[in-house]
Amino acid sequence: MKIIVLIKQVPEMERVKFDTERGVINRKSAGVEINPFDLNALEAALQIKEELGAEVIALSMGPTRAEGVIKEAIARGADDGVLLTDRKFSGADTRATSYLLASAIEEIGNVDLVIAGEMTVDGDTAQVGPQTAEYLGLAHVAYVTKLKKIREDYLTVVSSVWDANYLKKLKYPGLITVTKDLNTPRLPLLKRKLEVREAEVEKWGIADFKTDLDHQDVGLKGSCTRVRKIEVPSLIEREGKIWTGDELTEAITEVAQICQEKDRMGE
Amino acid sequence: MKQEIIKRLEEIVGQNWVDTDPERVISYSKEQTNNAYGLVTPQPVKGSVIVKPAGAKEIAEVLKYANQELIKVIPKGAGTGLSANAIPTEPSIILSVERLNKMLEVDEENLMVSCEAAVTLGDLIEELKKNDKLYFPLHPGDEGAQVGGMVAMNAGGVRAVKHGIMRDQVKGLEAVLPTGEIVSFGGKFGKLLKNNAGYDLMQLLIGSEGTLGIITKVVLKLYPEPKATGTLIIPYQKRRNAFQTVPKILQEGIIPMAIEYMEKEEIEDAVQGIGKEWPSKEGSSYLMVILAEDKEDTLYDKAEVIGEICEEVGAGEILIAETNAEQQSILEIRSHVLPAIAGKIVDSPDVTVPRSKLAEYLDQLDQLAEEYNTKIPVIAHAGDGNLHPIILKEEGEVPAYYDQLKEKIYQVAVDLGGTVTGEHGVGMLRLKFLPLQLGQAEQRIMWKIKEAFDPNEILNPGKAVVKVSN
Amino acid sequence: MTEKEYNGILVFAEQRNGEIHHVSYELLNKAEELAAELNCPIFAALLGPTGIEAEELIYRGAHEVYYLEDEAFGQPDELFYKENLVDLIEELKPEIILLGATNFGRSLAPRVAAALDTGLTADCTDLRVDEAGKLLQIRPAFSENILAQIETVTYPQMATVRYKEFVERDRDATLEGEIIKKSPTKAQEQSIEVLELLEQQKVNIAEAEVVVAGGKGIKKAADFELLQKLATKLGGVIGASRDIIDAGYLSKEYQIGYSGYRVAPKLYIACGISGAPQHVAGIKEADKIIAINTDPSAPIFEIADYGIIGDLYQVIPKLIEEVQEDETRDN
Repeated sequence: MKIIVLIKQVPEMERVKFDTERGVINRKSAGVEINPFDLNALEAALQIKEELGAEVIALSMGPTRAEGVIKEAIARGADDGVLLTDRKFSGADTRATSYLLASAIEEIGNVDLVIAGEMTVDGDTAQVGPQTAEYLGLAHVAYVTKLKKIREDYLTVVSSVWDANYLKKLKYPGLITVTKDLNTPRLPLLKRKLEVREAEVEKWGIADFKTDLDHQDVGLKGSCTRVRKIEVPSLIEREGKIWTGDELTEAITEVAQICQEKDRMGE
Repeated sequence: MKQEIIKRLEEIVGQNWVDTDPERVISYSKEQTNNAYGLVTPQPVKGSVIVKPAGAKEIAEVLKYANQELIKVIPKGAGTGLSANAIPTEPSIILSVERLNKMLEVDEENLMVSCEAAVTLGDLIEELKKNDKLYFPLHPGDEGAQVGGMVAMNAGGVRAVKHGIMRDQVKGLEAVLPTGEIVSFGGKFGKLLKNNAGYDLMQLLIGSEGTLGIITKVVLKLYPEPKATGTLIIPYQKRRNAFQTVPKILQEGIIPMAIEYMEKEEIEDAVQGIGKEWPSKEGSSYLMVILAEDKEDTLYDKAEVIGEICEEVGAGEILIAETNAEQQSILEIRSHVLPAIAGKIVDSPDVTVPRSKLAEYLDQLDQLAEEYNTKIPVIAHAGDGNLHPIILKEEGEVPAYYDQLKEKIYQVAVDLGGTVTGEHGVGMLRLKFLPLQLGQAEQRIMWKIKEAFDPNEILNPGKAVVKVSN
Repeated sequence: MTEKEYNGILVFAEQRNGEIHHVSYELLNKAEELAAELNCPIFAALLGPTGIEAEELIYRGAHEVYYLEDEAFGQPDELFYKENLVDLIEELKPEIILLGATNFGRSLAPRVAAALDTGLTADCTDLRVDEAGKLLQIRPAFSENILAQIETVTYPQMATVRYKEFVERDRDATLEGEIIKKSPTKAQEQSIEVLELLEQQKVNIAEAEVVVAGGKGIKKAADFELLQKLATKLGGVIGASRDIIDAGYLSKEYQIGYSGYRVAPKLYIACGISGAPQHVAGIKEADKIIAINTDPSAPIFEIADYGIIGDLYQVIPKLIEEVQEDETRDN
């Protein structure tokens, strides 16, 4: 069994600063890390591997320095990884990204299952998983919160859609996107981490694809959307009445009143 | 509390800031010690009054008045202390500094931060998140703790191995003495790195537990934020081996931010309470080592050496957390241990021994446990030699041997060159054990200092220092 | 294909168990606004089991409703939906396609976009048309810290749009339009099976009238019982900020904010919530906001109608008491 886990290097969101006045994102002080949701995807793959035995390959697209996330995935238990890196890949929207990932998955070949995180914390689109599935012509299940049955030829999973939980059966080959609720990702072994730091990460540029990859299909050229402008929203203000601690009794009485007014409105 | 006292206090701070509501007075009279060690912590008396002055001047007025009328004053911070230190034992003025909550200045050139006493550890962390380069490394635990209280109690906590404890961070301080004078130390701005002018009364006030003065303003050292951090989790089958590792790591010239020790059962209680998972599945005792370095390469070089040391002493597979969220999650589990086990423990003494004696101390604890036919779990800031052995309840009650066992836990530590309190302070909980460590002469001079600051014994009476009558 | 070949706005009318989801009416409202500028028709695509009152979509502004009837649409099978929706789109050739950014919409839309090999903008909070008649799509990114304006360079221009971001189109039963009933053009695939509905989610925060939400100020998971008590008394539900979900105190269905649910209750009580922009974005539609926080400088007070600077552990029990007394008096 061969499982591909899609991962992405993202800025550490806690340390990214957003300038409301100038509408600028300042990533200077932020480091980079593996997209948190992707750790849940990797953990799912490793659990399937433990159950059935499988080869787990981490796949990412990004600049050369994004090899760190591939190493991170291997340290946590992935068997191998590929970083898709080429200047022609840059500026990709979800369409170009998904198209490239799908091409790489086809290139790797004989893949039974693709697992992606629900979304990335910098893009927030949640599109790359399902789009990749479509370009691969595979069925997919999104928002997976539980793996129920892990079998040689199919999975049953719980998917959170329609404000409900549905049990779905996915025959391989297929793709799932997973939520944070699915599992708690394991930490890497120090030993493995130290080994991987020395290792070379396999990198593919556009020329490394055996099947022809059209320049028009990747990066900015392969993107169907363009960002025109970015703004950083500011807080909305309301005229407010504030009570301090020593006016608590008065505050409680008035607030209780307000609560009940609402109550009556509702009836 | 007499009506005329209330009236005078209202004149000083304004009507809004004096509170006699019995329920709130009791809630202000309690602290974390009442929750954590409820069975052995004194209950507060009724009849106190809460006063919330606006600043040092009003505090000075309150203290002058109290000193003249001989009314006891309890300085009140966030109530996160663990030594029964801010609990009134007779009707008192509970002087809460909560309105002194302004962050004054982050000084990037001097690497210092000035703030008022009631700024919380959480506020400080938040404020410094805005700064690209600087941070405050200490993390004594509860982020609700106020800076003034942390200084008054000389707090320590988890991340003290590399940068030391609160005492090592304070560079300037303003306080109000029990007689109503406002004093400040550390030069005009409190930013001196060398300052040899007279007795170092600032250091005397640090850790004085609110018995010598009320701290109103503090200047703390900041540090360049390390670029690479990582948290190692090292599992052991035997706890002795865990403690053996500690001096070996330090001998190699590796100074982590923190070396913490925890045991499986307590961790399980903690993770359950906050819905997390402990990353390591093997072992029953764990060291948690936080490394903070300038470069990732340095971090891994050191981690590798630690790995080798641990292998020698028979540790299990070491895990490493590097993402912020994962490191934070581990620290959260650590911080939640004490609250999580509060229901099943009677007390948790706060001993410190020289690091070289850690393993030996653990052996002695094992012997004590056998002697009393009980278990003595341990949580520890192992890197500092600071241990919290846990005295468990027996069938929900204080065991008959409690006093004996506690005294022995302390005595054994003192015999090994240790102390009866490493970080939590003396308060009321450890007052009677102080003579195990301090001789007559030491106690006498301490009391004379107390008399010099507070001739009428109005400030936080019955805590921290043993009264010696000549 | 060129843009000339494309005309009209297609709204995907999501339905669940035969009930049209309210996000569809919100989309129709926006569609009407855009259509007025583009001078184009509004189509609605309703894929569902038989017996749905499709004319509702007419009353909410759709000119033509394409109702694909099949029992299998009663299951959330994105692949089956995609195949049939793509066929319909290829027949209608709309210039704009809007779907609700519900979990289902966000799972279905990317498949449709990829099948049509066109661009898709996720989770929009606003839509406009520029001078050239292009759709401007406004959406948050970077964990909801920024707003990006996005245009699509291919056709059709596709977007998923947040629920509760726009108001619903008023119902007007005098409106007329055409309902075109069809059968699916494609059959269900075998690679995927919806086996069963396990359970409906317990809470439906997005539609609650009263929400009592907790944030960082809540010390442990069990303390949400306190909030639940107040919520029950007020006939509402509990919710939480992202910190709480990350800490594992409550599951994601309780999360309010940019990355959780947007709520629009009559009354929102924020307990120990500092009011980070990400959270505030999820509650701005609330009629009344009451904030309880010990920190007088917490940004939540800036957007609250009423604020109590105090410890929620003191305030809420008293509030519960007070509310109860009032109820007995009223009865």
